[in-house]
Amino acid sequence: MNRAITVRLFGAFRQGNPDSRLTVEIPEQARVADLRAAMEATLRDANARSLLKASAFATDSAVLDDDEIVPDREISILPPVCGG
Amino acid sequence: MIHVDITEAILDPMAALQHCCSDAHGAAALFIGRVRNLNDGRPVTAVSYDLHPQLCRNIFSEICQEAIDQWGPDLRVYLVHRQGRLEIGEASVITAVSSGHRDESFKACRHLIEQMKVRAPIWKQEHYVDGDSEWIKGHALRSSD
Repeated sequence: MNRAITVRLFGAFRQGNPDSRLTVEIPEQARVADLRAAMEATLRDANARSLLKASAFATDSAVLDDDEIVPDREISILPPVCGG
Repeated sequence: MIHVDITEAILDPMAALQHCCSDAHGAAALFIGRVRNLNDGRPVTAVSYDLHPQLCRNIFSEICQEAIDQWGPDLRVYLVHRQGRLEIGEASVITAVSSGHRDESFKACRHLIEQMKVRAPIWKQEHYVDGDSEWIKGHALRSSD
């Protein structure tokens, strides 16, 4: 059984996505690696797919490893960072 | 004592020094990161900062706590970052630390800025003289393949 999850977009992922969100279908017990694969299949732009490989996924409180279960409704994708 | 924030308002170095102040502290170190007009030989007119607000505050607090754990429980620590579009010369980030002696302040202040740059979920988009814009390549947070 699948479920829908909202992925919040930041940085370069906002390019071409004015609402800064994507909805992706994933299996009920999907892990972050499954979400990454589902997003790769969804993204049409080659640059975005390349950026996806270097990006992390996170909740509002922590960055997740690829083997962690995807949280309930919303997750953020974080491309490589460069503050300051 | 820790103060962290993200803001669209102009950063005030005096606010940092007021937080990092104690009668027991003989030293205070302050770092200001500013938008410069050139990157990789390309003239820059402005920089837009995008960030993840909740996670940013968490990571900032974590980094500040590390400084306190390493250089002393009485440290006063300050880390604030701007968001939105900044013009050349505007401050994008301020880090500050006060402590009993200068060595702890210098080292802890350096820790804040260096760790913030590689761990905080912040992204910058440079705007150029020719009207083009580009998201700057950064440091990957991904820990596994």
